[in-house]
Amino acid sequence: MKPKTLEKHSYTFMLLGLMAVVLLFFTVLKGAMLWKGDVWLGIAMQFPEYGVVTLGLMFCFICGKMDMSFMALGDFATIMAVQYMAAHADSPAGGVILVGILIALGIAVVGGLINGLLVSELDIPPVMATIAMQLVWTGLSVALTSGNTVKGLPALYTEIGHKYLLGFLPVPLLIFLLIFALCWFLLNHTVYGEKLYMVGTNIKAAQFSAINTKRMVVGTYVLCDVICCIGCLLMVNTMASAKADYGTSYVMRCILILVLAGVLPDGGMGKIGNVLIAIVTIQIIATGVNMFPNLNTYYASLIWGGLLLVVLVLNTRMGQGGLFGLKLPRAKKA
Amino acid sequence: MSEYLLQMTGIDKRFGGVHALDNVNFAVRPGKVMCLAGENGCGKSTLVKIISGVYTRDAGEITFEGQPIHHITPAEATRLGIQVIYQDLSIFPNLTVMENLAINSEITAGRKIVNRKRWEQTAREALSKIGYDIDLYAKMGDLSVADKQLVAICRALLFNAKLIIMDEPTTALTKKEVDALFKTVRQLRDSGIAIMFISHKTEEIFEISDDVCIMRNGKNVYSGETKDLTKRDFTFYMTGRELVDDYFVPTNISEKPVLQVEHLTWKGKYEDVSFDLRKGEILGITGLLGSGRTELALSLFGLGKVDGGTIALNGKPVKITSPIQAQKLRIGYVPEDRLTEGLCLRQPIADNIMLSSLKQLTRALGTIRHDELFDKSNEWVSKFSIATDDAHKHASTLSGGNQQKIVLSKWLNNDLDVLILNGPTVGVDIGAKQDIHALVHELANQGLAVIIISDDLAEVVVNCNRVIVMKDGRLVGEMTGDRITEDNILDIIR
Repeated sequence: MKPKTLEKHSYTFMLLGLMAVVLLFFTVLKGAMLWKGDVWLGIAMQFPEYGVVTLGLMFCFICGKMDMSFMALGDFATIMAVQYMAAHADSPAGGVILVGILIALGIAVVGGLINGLLVSELDIPPVMATIAMQLVWTGLSVALTSGNTVKGLPALYTEIGHKYLLGFLPVPLLIFLLIFALCWFLLNHTVYGEKLYMVGTNIKAAQFSAINTKRMVVGTYVLCDVICCIGCLLMVNTMASAKADYGTSYVMRCILILVLAGVLPDGGMGKIGNVLIAIVTIQIIATGVNMFPNLNTYYASLIWGGLLLVVLVLNTRMGQGGLFGLKLPRAKKA
Repeated sequence: MSEYLLQMTGIDKRFGGVHALDNVNFAVRPGKVMCLAGENGCGKSTLVKIISGVYTRDAGEITFEGQPIHHITPAEATRLGIQVIYQDLSIFPNLTVMENLAINSEITAGRKIVNRKRWEQTAREALSKIGYDIDLYAKMGDLSVADKQLVAICRALLFNAKLIIMDEPTTALTKKEVDALFKTVRQLRDSGIAIMFISHKTEEIFEISDDVCIMRNGKNVYSGETKDLTKRDFTFYMTGRELVDDYFVPTNISEKPVLQVEHLTWKGKYEDVSFDLRKGEILGITGLLGSGRTELALSLFGLGKVDGGTIALNGKPVKITSPIQAQKLRIGYVPEDRLTEGLCLRQPIADNIMLSSLKQLTRALGTIRHDELFDKSNEWVSKFSIATDDAHKHASTLSGGNQQKIVLSKWLNNDLDVLILNGPTVGVDIGAKQDIHALVHELANQGLAVIIISDDLAEVVVNCNRVIVMKDGRLVGEMTGDRITEDNILDIIR
């Protein structure tokens, strides 16, 4: 390999190195337990739901914006969808599921529009605006359900979700791969992707270059929240129900993945390939930690929080002057 | 005690690969005004930051009042009696004059409780030092730039300043205010305080300074008494070449105006501005900072408001409400602040060049032609000899002049009728400056209508066949041809 190529992808190699270290770590501690087929099947079944959500949030980050409401919105949208599906249990399942999904996505579109307009038209700082919206959506969900789990999904919904394409490819993973391909195409081969990186780098310069930055911001929030909602629909499949706080625990995990992948909310940077590596790495850690029965789930927050902190510190150091000679990929083509 | 208050020898400073200061020597005498002169980017600011302790020098010696100083921190500089008045004046606009004056000494004294009487006393003492009278309870943000500056000077004097450094203090002042400032400066000088005055304006330097130190590309090329220097030599030292002014000669001016602006008003910014512009012309719009010149340009580009008046393009009245629309009407704008408004620094040169013409690269389904993006931008790179070996490199890797060429190419890649250049050569080195001027002349003679907005009078005089002057939001003068001279413009401005 040419040294230039090596330099260009140095961050990707570092992430792959990290993944190898994580695998080695759990192999040393747990031996062959990690390398069983069903462990990897579990990994492939688990990451698609928040993986899809992360891909959605990625657009927001590249645009230089923040969204804290995506999970609360997704939870609300899926509650509405599941309630609809449960209420029409006697109609043909296929049509009901389709309408339910459309309801969820429709709500996500509305949520994204609100976020985008708050940020671009009213100039409210993105974190503030979307935290407020997060509270609104969670509040609506809790008010509607009294905080209870909403059940009564058509059996077909979960059946589809547990099918394997060609006998080995789980449907959620297939959906993740399809969305990944779509996002990859959007980012790297469309004018939208080109504008997104430029707007994220310097929104003012983009505006001075006759780019409709407001439309970009609103559109990106809608795209982000719709993709996040698809992730939440996968979550409904896993849980066979919807609830006001299903997604909450994933918020930090999604941000952690993006930061680890070098997609910082400063905007204009990061590559989708790195996001994929980071998603899988984080899932391996989650699965690995689960192999220690003594480390119960109450430690999860501590682990993700600590990891996020470490990654942030390292990333900041790398941004400032490099770490071990590595530098953050400051742009998609860096 | 030595003859000098501050003496610096062999100062060296590097930022990465950039040699910002290269063996700089200079000295300031007590009770004198020393001028530090040089073009943008010559290392003046770096030098000041070394004196004030913001940067640490890589090599060289500094003595203050005969004592060698090894390591300066900003606090140490204040203790020694060195005060810097930066261009932004470092004031708190939301606080009163009194609070601005007293706050530093209160903090230094470690006081935690506010005593209004003591604050007022401190403030009065400060004002009395230069016999300056102003309402202590006026809000700082409401004052004029000149008043703010005087308050900043008073504040500096509270620290028993022995050396006051002023960073381009006259940029936003009218002639009257400059005179008032100079009076104060002389008064301070006569009381034994040394003043270091940073400027690039020839007239001012000859008016106020006793000594002068001229810097170019990080080296000091001249230091000595001002009276030993002629203006001609001064320009030579500043720019490093005998400047042959290449005046713009219009050869292709259209009969009908392409742009007609009548009674255009943006309340609070500018009022009742009328002018027209023909193809092949280079129209200069000049005036002080805050005269409304930039706001006028923003209105023409759809980013400013229009409260009254009309804009007509090729005889048809138009409303310009966004840059997108301005682009459709074939108007391009090169903004004032290249770094925040002109470029996406962390993105490749090629993508920056093509940013405003992505439509040309769009295929079916909104996909982008990457190959063409690169080919087309490479054409501009070679056409303008932008100094890079690879257009995939980030825009931040280039110098100011080359960055400005990117912003220019970005707009020239569109078919334009009108090109507005706001401060086209600010922070651009002299070579690139001449390239850009020559290019603009060529474009005008090919039939483009150009507006240059600039407070660099020399630039306006050399490049424009017609100039309008703005002051306090109004159009106060217009001149053409031989009538365009620096003196004539200054007469109107001040």
